[in-house]
Amino acid sequence: MKILVIAEKELKEYILKPGSISWGIIFPLVFTLAFAVRFGDVDHLAPGLMSISILFGTTSFVSSSIIFERRLRTFERLLVAPVKRVEIVGAKILVGTLFGLFVGAVSFLILRLFMAYRVWNPLLLITFMFVSGTAFSGLALWVSLRVENPINAMTWLNLIRLPMIFTSGAIVSLLLFPHWFIVVGLITPMTYAVDGMRYAMLGYYDVINPIYDLLVTVLLSMLFTYLSVEELRRLY
Amino acid sequence: MAEGLTKRYGDFTAVDGINLTVKRGEIYGLLGPNGAGKTTTVRMLTTLTQITSGNAWVNGYSVREEPLLVKRSIGLVPDVSNLYDELTVEENLLFAARLYNAPIERVRELIREFDLPANKKFGKLSSGFKRRTTIAAALVHRPEVLFMDEPTTALDVSSARNVRNLIRLLNKEGITVFITTHNMIDAESLPHRIGIIKEGKIIAEGKGRELKELMGKGMVVKLLVEPITSKLINEIEAYSPTFDEGFIVVTVEDVDEFLEELFDLKMRLGFKVKRISTELPTIEDVFVELTERNGCSCGGCPL
Repeated sequence: MKILVIAEKELKEYILKPGSISWGIIFPLVFTLAFAVRFGDVDHLAPGLMSISILFGTTSFVSSSIIFERRLRTFERLLVAPVKRVEIVGAKILVGTLFGLFVGAVSFLILRLFMAYRVWNPLLLITFMFVSGTAFSGLALWVSLRVENPINAMTWLNLIRLPMIFTSGAIVSLLLFPHWFIVVGLITPMTYAVDGMRYAMLGYYDVINPIYDLLVTVLLSMLFTYLSVEELRRLY
Repeated sequence: MAEGLTKRYGDFTAVDGINLTVKRGEIYGLLGPNGAGKTTTVRMLTTLTQITSGNAWVNGYSVREEPLLVKRSIGLVPDVSNLYDELTVEENLLFAARLYNAPIERVRELIREFDLPANKKFGKLSSGFKRRTTIAAALVHRPEVLFMDEPTTALDVSSARNVRNLIRLLNKEGITVFITTHNMIDAESLPHRIGIIKEGKIIAEGKGRELKELMGKGMVVKLLVEPITSKLINEIEAYSPTFDEGFIVVTVEDVDEFLEELFDLKMRLGFKVKRISTELPTIEDVFVELTERNGCSCGGCPL
């Protein structure tokens, strides 16, 4: 499987690099700690904070790695080798997801210090962290490949990421908003990650049945993988 | 082999329906000024850029229909290295080997053959070693065709000579080599056959000797005169003069006749002839003659 060969190379290349440390350790540590210290009892907030950490960690990592590789033209090393486009995309998403799991774990370890309850279903939580990571990584890869000037990728990602923090119910529960806003929440990919992780951690959910959360997040991962493969086909 | 190979970016045609055939076991050089379409041609032949129309076959495989088979049988040494700065030389070669399912022993063999510093990070290498490592990485799966885009660009004299020797050696081992260059030393010394590309079209093709014959049986005359006036240039317009570092360069059939005409002009226009030299035409002269025939493109003419 070339996916694993490429993924292993990416891990060797990017691990312990300044970008990885800042997005992988410093960001989730400082961000989570700030909320935890401010609110104390963070049980209801924890899934949202972890989702935000995973969202920003994965998207920043995947986006910057693809931008650098395209600019330095090392990305063409993969394209000129007998590797299918889906394997290249798969490897990028896998590494982004592993990074997301790490970022989520850092965030969780901080939150655990301030949480009153134990995690309701740890295995389901890891599952949701994993599929959220793949969906977010796929989204970042697709956006980063789509923009003409790779530098604009961060601008476009922020245009997507920042509103999602609000519309997904990560910080403020969607149940506190009028009905029409919940509809906005339902078309926000991150809502399913937040809601599913909330169910896995606390045993209850705000808006959507967790089976649908899982299903939609998996479908989004597949959709963004497909779109990224098609984008690669268009570009090269 | 390429048939009607074309690449368009919107309204701009980078490569305009070129046809070319490279024989197995030869070194083929594609020469052209910057922006002529050399790199785009290589990118299409190596599957990195989609072909707009036409097709190409590399090692018998269609670039359009069988890109994975093309990729298995080629190696690419791009003008800017495609290896990873943060990995060591050995890690880079191992990664390449794993991408092509090549045996690990091949990596050790290449490190030994190319005398590479295995444990040094690629980003810390000198330009010469970077190029050698990039060539080694392109050879890890023993490709039958090696594409090299500007193989000696940005190398010092000694490293460039080493790379040229390496290319000859690889070719002797049976690898077909396709190079693009605007370096005239490479063009003069490496290819068995040369194609000259201008504005996306192949305008001449053949062995070096054949291309030189395009210049006629004449000689290249280089003149250093002062001052160079528009009147002087107008008078020698018929010889299609070009300019090279202050020299006026013309190709003439009969040197005596030209010199007589020149001294007649000297008497009439009053310029000083500071130096004259005559040479047989080089590939560079052919290149300049063909690529600048319809107006100078050097941007550095004194007038």
